[in-house]
Amino acid sequence: MNAMEGRIAPMIHVEGLHKSIRNGTRTVDILKGVDFTIPQGQFAAIMGASGSGKSTLLGLLAGLDTPSSGDVRLNGIAISYLPEDKLAQVRGKTIGFVFQSYQLIPTLTALENVLLPYELNEGDTQDGLARAQDLLTSVGLGDRLGHYPVQLSGGEQQRVALARAFILRPPIVLADEPTGNLDSTNGEHVLELLLNLNRKEGTTLVLVTHDAALAAYADRRITLRDGLIVSDEISRSATGSAGME
Amino acid sequence: MASLSYRSAARIAAREMRSSRGKFFFVILSVAIGVAALTGVRGFSSSFRATLLTRARSIMAADVSARMFEQPTPEQQKGLDEIAADGVEMTPVTELLSMASSSKTLDPLLVSLKAVDPAMYPFYGTVELAPAAALKSVLTANSVAVADDLLVRLHMKVGDDLKIGNKLFRIASVVVNEPDRLSGNFAAGPRVLISREGLEASGLLAPGSHAGQRFLFKLPAPRDGSAMPNSKVSALRDRLEKLLPESRVIDYRETNPALTQGLDRATSLLSLMSLVALVLGAIGVGMAMRAHLQQRLDTIAIMKSLGASSAQIMKIYLLQTLLLGLLGGVIGVALGVGVQMAFPHLLAGLLHMQTVIHVQGRTVLTGLAVGVLTTLLFTLPPLLDIRGVRPVLILRRAVEESDDPFVTAVFRKLRKNGAQIGAAVLILAGLAAIATTLSDSAMVGGVFSLGLVSVLAILLAASALVLAGLKWFLGRTRLRLPSAVRHGLANLYRPGNPSAALLAALGLGVMQIMTVYFVQQAVVRELHISSAPNLPNVFLVDITPSEIDGVRVLLKSQPSVTVPPEMLPVVSSRIVAIDGVAADQAKLKNFPKRMLQSISLTWADSAPPGTSAVAGKWWQVGEKSPVVAVSQRDAERLGVKVGSHLTFAAQDSRFTATVVALTKADGQHAYSRAAFVLPPATLAGLPVVWYGGVHADPARVGELQRALFKAYPTVTVINVAQALETVRSVVIQITYVIQFLAAFSIFAGIIILASSIAGTRYRRIREVVVLKTLGATRRRIATIFSIEFAVLGLVAGIVGITFANLIARVLLHRMNVVFHWQWRWSAAALVGTAALTVATGWAASHRILGQKPLEVLREE
Repeated sequence: MNAMEGRIAPMIHVEGLHKSIRNGTRTVDILKGVDFTIPQGQFAAIMGASGSGKSTLLGLLAGLDTPSSGDVRLNGIAISYLPEDKLAQVRGKTIGFVFQSYQLIPTLTALENVLLPYELNEGDTQDGLARAQDLLTSVGLGDRLGHYPVQLSGGEQQRVALARAFILRPPIVLADEPTGNLDSTNGEHVLELLLNLNRKEGTTLVLVTHDAALAAYADRRITLRDGLIVSDEISRSATGSAGME
Repeated sequence: MASLSYRSAARIAAREMRSSRGKFFFVILSVAIGVAALTGVRGFSSSFRATLLTRARSIMAADVSARMFEQPTPEQQKGLDEIAADGVEMTPVTELLSMASSSKTLDPLLVSLKAVDPAMYPFYGTVELAPAAALKSVLTANSVAVADDLLVRLHMKVGDDLKIGNKLFRIASVVVNEPDRLSGNFAAGPRVLISREGLEASGLLAPGSHAGQRFLFKLPAPRDGSAMPNSKVSALRDRLEKLLPESRVIDYRETNPALTQGLDRATSLLSLMSLVALVLGAIGVGMAMRAHLQQRLDTIAIMKSLGASSAQIMKIYLLQTLLLGLLGGVIGVALGVGVQMAFPHLLAGLLHMQTVIHVQGRTVLTGLAVGVLTTLLFTLPPLLDIRGVRPVLILRRAVEESDDPFVTAVFRKLRKNGAQIGAAVLILAGLAAIATTLSDSAMVGGVFSLGLVSVLAILLAASALVLAGLKWFLGRTRLRLPSAVRHGLANLYRPGNPSAALLAALGLGVMQIMTVYFVQQAVVRELHISSAPNLPNVFLVDITPSEIDGVRVLLKSQPSVTVPPEMLPVVSSRIVAIDGVAADQAKLKNFPKRMLQSISLTWADSAPPGTSAVAGKWWQVGEKSPVVAVSQRDAERLGVKVGSHLTFAAQDSRFTATVVALTKADGQHAYSRAAFVLPPATLAGLPVVWYGGVHADPARVGELQRALFKAYPTVTVINVAQALETVRSVVIQITYVIQFLAAFSIFAGIIILASSIAGTRYRRIREVVVLKTLGATRRRIATIFSIEFAVLGLVAGIVGITFANLIARVLLHRMNVVFHWQWRWSAAALVGTAALTVATGWAASHRILGQKPLEVLREE
């Protein structure tokens, strides 16, 4: 437990989280009991070597899978055992997700991709349109609204994905190795944009990475090994900014 | 990997198949259903045709018959012996008119005598006797079988003695039905069947007697139980026509054109269905293999980055393809043989005949070869694509999506890639070869393949056009459309999505299914007309002009006669000159000169029922000039055509008539026997006898016969009700079988199309995950996919049904069957296609919708 967690309203609360999967006749424990709380507005990086369980943890935070036991609460709502469609609604309204491999819908233009969460969750396209255009402009793609994903470079596609993650002003943004597929220049640019948006929108950001340099930007670094948290540190600057002593 | 052995390649291929059984299930299913449809339809129709043709041959009791008026010359006899040496059986049938009397009363009666060899006759069908017995056991040198009519007229019974010529014969039985009653002479007088020894003993065959002699021929049946090819029948007929120039040679197909035409149409339809089953199977294979190889792009890229050459990878997937084709083929053949065995049981209630099913090795091998070959052929283009897979794919998944749209890709490939053109040519040649094997004709095979390729090209172009139109529409309306609709429509042209290919495949499938349906409908409708239940089944011979009105009145009063009788006036005449050449100098082809001496003329104001003009034009009502319509077959034999002149002599008058029309008759009406029809004015005043054709309730023909005999004892009544019932039942059975087989083909086609659609589901998994992560409910995702599938189905349906109507129209025109535009069925098929596409799309995507997103993402 971290000293900071009790003071500010928790945005993410994880308790006794276990996840096992069956691999043939063998059961593999990926997460073996993980507990933590992330307050609103915090930027947390989840780190760990390959196979440590960090992506599974992120998936469980996003409600993309059901834990074997334990609980995840987002903004006070227990999401782990919600029915599929209810979960979809929670995801739509609460979470913005950035994938390592962008995952844009190839048949929709950049603008439509960004607008998609709005349409799925709010319905009215017109209201979202201006915001989608603003967001795309803010990530430097104001002139490429009508382009299809195949017409964009990897870095540009990830920037569209960033805009899409923020369109609904979600309280939480989860990012899974968002720069993993990009070269260092593009990676840095995307990270910068992500942090800018995060600051501007005041979202809680959870980023999965194995890159220590990237994690250095975070307020807090949670490190996993073999399905357990082995360290949980808060950076000095973050302590200050969060208003601690 | 430089020396990847076949063994290692097979191991990799097999392991990959084991690891994703679900995906391969659809591939194998498509191949299996295609092959099963082919084996089942082809096998059963071949067995059914053999049975049916035997029934059709029973109308003439033989394959070919030759009517002669003289004994064969020694040279001709030598030729006949040679034919016999080839395995062709032959038996003579002698028909003549004679007087017969009861040994008690000695009242004479004109009878129609027919002498046969009961050991050979009939080659097909059976002579029905009452009480039931085999002809062989009834007909001896001292006994005869007679028509019921004779017993009534002579007040005799079975067991009595009948005097024919100078010999007494015991009446051993009553003839109820002779198989060749419709093709024999409609001579006056009741039938008496006599053995050849009996006829010899009667002393009636004195030199100069007017006996007509027919030789019946039977070809050896193919050993594998398949239907006798028409070509063999025609070959024998031609051989006999050359050998016996003075005889009239006909094959069984000419005796009842309506029936044999129905049979021919059914045969064309059945081979069409076989070919359609083949193409549908091939579509299934092609779609499934394309989807499968696209799934394997990652693996291929990994192997390439490890140093594998394209050839090595192609070896692996070639082996896999072979394995899939073989597996599908074996399952398909087993299914097909099962279906073939099940057909007769399923149809037992409808078919009152024993269809002997021979599972032919050839059909099974064809099925297997088709399975493997079409799989290989259709996998060739995607296999060749392996050469273009870049190893960078494993580093950047997005590259996979940078494919051009399908059609552009096809054209780009065709431009750039000689191997693809080679593959296309190979596919075409392979299909032509298969089609040729299936249809036993290189021409049909070639036309079919070329037609298929053109239709496919048109379908691809039409699909691309529709997709481009949609894209344009979407570009204009983009954000104004509800987002689910927009997303669903946008999915149709997602890059790398084979919408155009799927559209073309679906369109082709719908087109083939509906073509089979439309053609089947039209052929069945036509068959029903030709087997109409009110055709004449009782013929009246030798009605004098003084009796005709009385006969009409009597027939009208008979409750068993429900349809107005067809009355045919006959004027006996001779042909004395053909185009100015005297009859004895005329060059005739298989028309005995002696027959020019007894030509029956009849009159009619317009084309009589069942007769139509195939060349020239029928005259107007009230025609005064001497014109004549000649049956096409007789015109050929006499060497006349429209515009020729025939000079007839009847009694003392002599006149020359111009041929204005060549006719064809269906063999089912009183007028069908009239070869020369003239306007009434031309024949006015000449002596006439009347023939009548009446339809009576088959169960009450005896009643009618007695009433007629009582009032008009000299009128001969020939009952062909039994023979016609045979024809009718065969025709009805044809309709059942083709409807059944069409339904089966359509069903198989639907399954194949459904599995093609289902095969696209793997492409959707990732999209579902992304949408779910972004907050989409299952309902929302289902709506998007439903719109995509419904549009796909509607477009494919419109294109397919339009082409089906066009092709059915052309095919039916060639079959001389009337085409009716069936808008109701077309609309139903359209809605059905859309519903089927949505339903299969749903069924296939159902499991994906329930999947947890992380399960899929973890696999990435």
